[in-house]
Amino acid sequence: MALYRVFIKGTNDKITLLQKFLNIVIAVALFLLFFFFSAKRLSINFDFSFLWTFRYRLIQGFATTVELSLVSLILSLLLGFLSAMANNSRILAISYFSKVYVQFFRGTPMIMQIYLFFYIVGTAWGVDNRFLAGVLILSLFEGAYIAEIIRGGIDSIEPTQLEAAKAVGLEAGQTLRLVVLPQIIKRTLPALAGQFASIIKDSSLLSLISVIELTQTIREISASNFAIFESYIFLGLLYLSLTFPISMYTRYLEGKFSYEN
Amino acid sequence: MRIELAGVTKIFTDEKKVLDNISFIEDFKALAIIGPSGGGKSTLLRIIGGLISPTTGDVFLDGNKIIFDERYLIQHRRQIGFVFQAKGLFNHLNAQQNVMLPLVNVHGYTKADAQKIANRLLARFGLSADKHKFPNELSGGQQQRVAIVRAVAVKPKLLLLDEPTSALDPELTGEVLAMLNELRYDGLNIILVTHEMGFAKKACDKLIFIVNGRLAEYGDSERLFIRPHTAELASFLNRVLEWGI
Ligand SMILES: Nc1ncnc2c1ncn2[C@@H]1O[C@H](COP(=O)(O)OP(=O)(O)O)[C@@H](O)[C@H]1O
Ligand SMILES: [Mg+2]
Repeated sequence: MALYRVFIKGTNDKITLLQKFLNIVIAVALFLLFFFFSAKRLSINFDFSFLWTFRYRLIQGFATTVELSLVSLILSLLLGFLSAMANNSRILAISYFSKVYVQFFRGTPMIMQIYLFFYIVGTAWGVDNRFLAGVLILSLFEGAYIAEIIRGGIDSIEPTQLEAAKAVGLEAGQTLRLVVLPQIIKRTLPALAGQFASIIKDSSLLSLISVIELTQTIREISASNFAIFESYIFLGLLYLSLTFPISMYTRYLEGKFSYEN
Repeated sequence: MRIELAGVTKIFTDEKKVLDNISFIEDFKALAIIGPSGGGKSTLLRIIGGLISPTTGDVFLDGNKIIFDERYLIQHRRQIGFVFQAKGLFNHLNAQQNVMLPLVNVHGYTKADAQKIANRLLARFGLSADKHKFPNELSGGQQQRVAIVRAVAVKPKLLLLDEPTSALDPELTGEVLAMLNELRYDGLNIILVTHEMGFAKKACDKLIFIVNGRLAEYGDSERLFIRPHTAELASFLNRVLEWGI
């Protein structure tokens, strides 16, 4: 094998593990070099040692972000499912309520929703626990996206599938359990996993109302010691440590289900 | 098997009669429903299969009246196999699982028994190598053969097929028709909507001819092909047999 074949993929070639490893290392190195030289131009000397001093706060912040994201995931799945059901409701007001909800939360920036809901709705109804308020706002926001994913899943069920279920003698409940739900889950799981990565990233915006999650923790630390670059580089790595495995898992699911559908 | 229709009429939402007062009695082993498209053949088959209800009229199978009430219909459907034109397999299940699902979840077989039955039938019809494939990995002909296996695995008293080969090219059509012919020799009663005139003539003992929702002619298939009584059937046969069969 000629040496260049390690770096160039022929039309019908399979990429070997070694090839994959080598080339990923190169790509990541290029990426890092660019940052390194950018920092060089500004003659910044990185010093990450302070992170150790703040380790307990960082761990606490990281844990809060994970917690926030997990609770919001569950809540937004519920909201998304209800909204997708409501969207198909024969009671028109319910159907339109769901449509308005989805349009509003997908069509406006989250920062506006955070301020609006925290300062007006939250204050009016006495939700002064910032974590709780944060979870609610994040869930409402993500629920609108999940509603669309689930609605797409429902729409993708072909009528012949329901007719076949009827023909083999399944009852309505069995059709839902054995045919409709498995197909919706298979079709939407990759997108839902991807949405979980979005939830984790979007949760950072809750720092705007001082929920002490990861981003807010870093903001506070960097405001006290001015190590902005190091703080935010580290922040990025922490978010990547959460989103990267999810993104890999999403890829895996897409591959797994692409031919089963 | 004896089938009797008495004044079966079907009107969907608009006023048009998709089926108009269809009445006949036939004793058959294999009954072919033929006629121009849009005439109401699928609608008739779905009424017989209990998938939809007629607006008025009665259907009897071996003297038993089909009661068009959901509670009864679900029992009716369980005694009947139904094969659609295409895409009737469950997308999320492989061939074997497709065959097993009705056995386990409708007919109360254990998983192990259902698997044995599925494997035996799939093997019989040359589908052993494909039993772990999902519908979109199967050719159109294989999909239809699996669909037929799924329908007959539960030992129905009657198999209904709605143009089971019209989405297939001639070679695949041949393998599906051969399978049906074999099942017919096993003693399975069949009603099928088809455009395969060769099969209707040679493999089906009875024929009904539907035009524009009306039953224009019915009887022994041999006779209808050789001596059609109505001008409509004569001209229909002329058109579809223009290039021979
Ligand atoms: N669910 C339905 N709602 C309204 N009209 C229908 C429905 N199913 C069939 N039709 C109409 O009934 C007529 C006969 O259809 P069909 O039974 O499918 O005919 P064929 O199978 O002979 O081609 C067509 O005009 C078709 O548009
Ligand atoms: Mg039809």
